[in-house]
Amino acid sequence: MSGSPSEAESVRPRPSTVAGESPLLQVNKVTKGFRHGVLRRRRIEVLRGASLEVRPGELVGLVGENGSGKSVLMKIIVGLLARDGGEVALAGRLGYCPQEALVWEKLTVAEHFRLFAEAYELTYEQATRAQERLLDELQFARYAGYRTDELSGGTRQKLNLALALMHEPALLLLDEPYSGFDWDTYVRFWEMAEERRAQGMGILIVSHLLAERERLSRVYTLSDGRCVEE
Amino acid sequence: MTLVFIREQLRAPLTLALLVALPFLFVVLAADVLGEFADALGGSLVADGATALGAGWSAAFIAGTLGFFQIASAREADRRLARAGIGPFRVAAARIAAAVGLAVLAAAAAYLAMAIEIDVVHPLHAAAAILGYSLIYLGLGALVGCLVRGELEGSLAVAFVFLLDVFSGPGMTEGDGSPLSISRSAADVLLAAAIGAGSPTADWLELAAWVLGALAVAGAGFAFSARSRA
Repeated sequence: MSGSPSEAESVRPRPSTVAGESPLLQVNKVTKGFRHGVLRRRRIEVLRGASLEVRPGELVGLVGENGSGKSVLMKIIVGLLARDGGEVALAGRLGYCPQEALVWEKLTVAEHFRLFAEAYELTYEQATRAQERLLDELQFARYAGYRTDELSGGTRQKLNLALALMHEPALLLLDEPYSGFDWDTYVRFWEMAEERRAQGMGILIVSHLLAERERLSRVYTLSDGRCVEE
Repeated sequence: MTLVFIREQLRAPLTLALLVALPFLFVVLAADVLGEFADALGGSLVADGATALGAGWSAAFIAGTLGFFQIASAREADRRLARAGIGPFRVAAARIAAAVGLAVLAAAAAYLAMAIEIDVVHPLHAAAAILGYSLIYLGLGALVGCLVRGELEGSLAVAFVFLLDVFSGPGMTEGDGSPLSISRSAADVLLAAAIGAGSPTADWLELAAWVLGALAVAGAGFAFSARSRA
């Protein structure tokens, strides 16, 4: 996934905890509502001016109760949902790990890597290296030849995460990334996140429950359609 | 990417069961019953005509169902891949190429079943007409896949149109068939081929127009399904 650097320039900068670095992601006063019902059309406003930003080397959390609109905001940032108002500016390559593992049931793990390598325009060598590294890091190399409908929920989630990381994006968006992980994988996930943050990757983690707040640069709470920095 | 998508479909047990069972069911087992139905509805379907039409209908049903499931089962994953950098049009192109490949396979299976049962006087005409059935229904399946999200509801919609088509087509009712029959042009060519008559140029042109229109609808459907909402 990619975003245009010129889009970032069109948005007014906001204060940040990291000085001197341009934001990789700026979400400015985004609004989004949905219509429900057939005869009596009701409109539900999910986002009422949500704003946040992520800079290089930041690990940012976005929390909120179920139904608060976290995944909606994430899908708007990625471009899978249209916003009603506000601005989203992205700079650099984007990696997205959705809440549900969006994979093809009848394809193998290795075939998934090949398809996404093509999407990210990786050479054969780059793709092979990335696949081997991620299979090793997330410890699921023995499942490379398995179809995803043969995988456990946790292993599907590992594949989901690996596909988002394959091209080492500048900005990584993770929507409830560790659901289904066992304890070892959960710990490994946070180590991987910290390693990549140290290399300059900006990471936004969305969750209804963030137990590792001390690892985060800052946390936004999405409440009543707005992001409040804690 | 096209080969991966074809492989994905062929790994589904339902696909293989349809490819083997439906031609046998329609051509070998149901031809006599279809002739009796036609008689009851005021049609004039003779034995070889019913067998040939059975082959067309089996190819149509398989291609329509597979066209629908190609969109319905992979919508979100395709969209993720498109957003990862491939883009909706390349995903759509690979999907439609895979769907056409499967439609050709369905037509080949149906033709084989027909050739075992009867001696077709114009085999090339019959093959073209059966392929026409497949491609017209591929467009229908893709259209339903775009409009209907649920797999049960969508497959019922394809089956409903199919039944309307079958019972209002040429040979099944008095006259030349009703406008409700979307495969009428293919049926005209197929019936003529089965009884040894040639088809006028106008019939071929009408069949070509239906096939091209269906392919355009399928292409638009796959692109619409993989598109970004931003």
